[in-house]
Amino acid sequence: MKKYVFALIAACLVLGTAVAAPKAKVKIALIIESTVDDKGWGQAMHDAIVAVQKKYGASLIEYGYSEKMKPVDAGSAARQYVAKGYDIVIGHGAQFKNLILEMADEFPKTTFAFGTSGEIGPKNVFTYMPESEETGYINGVIAGLVTKTNIIGVVGPVDGGDAARYNRGFVLGAKASNPKAEVKVAHTGSFGDFVKAAELAHTFVKGGADVLTGSAQQALGALRAVAEYKDKPIWWLGQDTAQLAIPESYKVIAAASYDYAAVIEQLIDKRQAGTLGGQSLPLTFKNGGFVYEFNDKVGPVLSAAVRKAAEKAKADITAGALAINWKDVKY
Amino acid sequence: MNLLLVLQNILAIGVPFSVALLLAALGEMFNQRAGVFNLGCEGIMAMGAFLGFLPSFLLKGGALAPWAPAIGIACAALAGVLLGLLFGLVTVSFRAPQGIAGIGLQMLGWGTAGTLSRHFVGGVTGIPGIDAWPIPGLSKIPFLGPILFSMTPFGYFGFLMVPISWYVLFKTPWGLKVRAVGTHPRAADTMGTNVARTRYQALMLGGAMAGLAGAYLSLAQAKMFADDIVAGRGFIAVALVYFGRWHPLYILGGSLLFSIAQSFQLAIQVLGIDFPYEFAVMLPYVLVILVLAFAKNSRLRGPAELGKPYNREKRV
Repeated sequence: MKKYVFALIAACLVLGTAVAAPKAKVKIALIIESTVDDKGWGQAMHDAIVAVQKKYGASLIEYGYSEKMKPVDAGSAARQYVAKGYDIVIGHGAQFKNLILEMADEFPKTTFAFGTSGEIGPKNVFTYMPESEETGYINGVIAGLVTKTNIIGVVGPVDGGDAARYNRGFVLGAKASNPKAEVKVAHTGSFGDFVKAAELAHTFVKGGADVLTGSAQQALGALRAVAEYKDKPIWWLGQDTAQLAIPESYKVIAAASYDYAAVIEQLIDKRQAGTLGGQSLPLTFKNGGFVYEFNDKVGPVLSAAVRKAAEKAKADITAGALAINWKDVKY
Repeated sequence: MNLLLVLQNILAIGVPFSVALLLAALGEMFNQRAGVFNLGCEGIMAMGAFLGFLPSFLLKGGALAPWAPAIGIACAALAGVLLGLLFGLVTVSFRAPQGIAGIGLQMLGWGTAGTLSRHFVGGVTGIPGIDAWPIPGLSKIPFLGPILFSMTPFGYFGFLMVPISWYVLFKTPWGLKVRAVGTHPRAADTMGTNVARTRYQALMLGGAMAGLAGAYLSLAQAKMFADDIVAGRGFIAVALVYFGRWHPLYILGGSLLFSIAQSFQLAIQVLGIDFPYEFAVMLPYVLVILVLAFAKNSRLRGPAELGKPYNREKRV
């Protein structure tokens, strides 16, 4: 019997994310620079909080959000949430870091969180960081197998945060499945310039790339540009599963998404256990922080062999059998 | 590496991408020639982008779908005219400071477009947009064909606006009135030109062109609409007017230079040339600043009364 009890405890420790229902009502506030229906960054976090609220009921989770908040405006919104007795205030975006640190100092009993960031903040600040090299790696594996020209393009926003991890994971994945593949990484310098992302995608295609990927909101502009090559074998690998449900999805072989529910549940659980912050919470396949979906609508390009290779990579990453040394990648 | 092909690709991408800047800057040129600088160009472009996009979104798959881009272009131009009128009311009739009023218009246009998009569209969505129309024969000319003769009809229209703007500004009585009210409104008034009416007309024309510039972004370039689709291009257009010394031909040169520099910096990255991308993305902006800084006496060529409200009752 003892053996089973230890095994159960060990399993809980290994998973590290096993959380219980909230013991008391928790009030969560979200502050974002975009909107909750932006089919990307803001919506991913909003949907996660709504999912957790649905799971435990509105009587246990109260949720409020403020959209289109620039860092300079967000301070007044955060103050109002604290004044209304919100327990957890999330500034969704690294641009809210200074604000959150300032607020955390002023209101030590409130839990604050911002991301993406791997920093360890003060004792009432959590950070969260998607380890997106994992999703990048799987997309890279597919890109390496699918490319015919051996030229693959990455439409990056800026070389930082989770975008930098995604890009480097992608490079490693592509090289692992096809050492001859040349992965070219370029940046628009913006998270939201759809037009420039489209221009970059066209530049890649004219340069011979036949598989493209990209992250952040701007990636939709690049996907729209890829969709213009309707009858040509130019493909896209997404970093947002919402891309599988839009008209341009006929170009999307597969896509990954963040599921922040794991982060939200941990925030609630840790706060109720007395830990108000001082930790960085990762998003990984292992803790359910990522969702990965294939798109069968693309036809033969998603062959059984391609799918199998991607699934194997995902299984290896989840099991911890595959180390992705993304920091070693230079481009 | 085939350098000629690389150059062709840079130009083939950069030239069509200059059209939005060109249209907006030509419109702003009329505003400024009449003595009014409109920093709200960005906001008008946002409204133009949204209204250009909306008919294609609403009529998708319907019998009117083939006409949707044309309807969108008309709506975008009309919205620009109305916003130009509004700006005229504030700055010409009420004589409000033009800089502040322009920033207000920018925020109004951006906010309204975003709010309407959320209400009627819901999220970022693609549309068929306007496809390229390669001109038979000309588009096959080696090197130049894919650059100059493989654009969308909207793109050709943008470049056609350069000689038209030149003709209107320098060869018509109305163009003379516009230049007169921007240079010496009192003298123009004395000669019987209605300064306020001419400034209103210039603002409506400038607004229409900014609206068209926005529609070009959503219909011919991105083929989608998002809140931030204009991404500062309205402000760059205002800078290009100074850069182009209030002359259509120089504005064309400035728009092309900026867009080709943009395309060039993307090509640098795509080619894997070892150059920090942070500096690469700054390149077009640095180029414009350098030209502005070194273009000596450029301010002297500008409309003398630019930015000054005209009050015929005021003694000078």
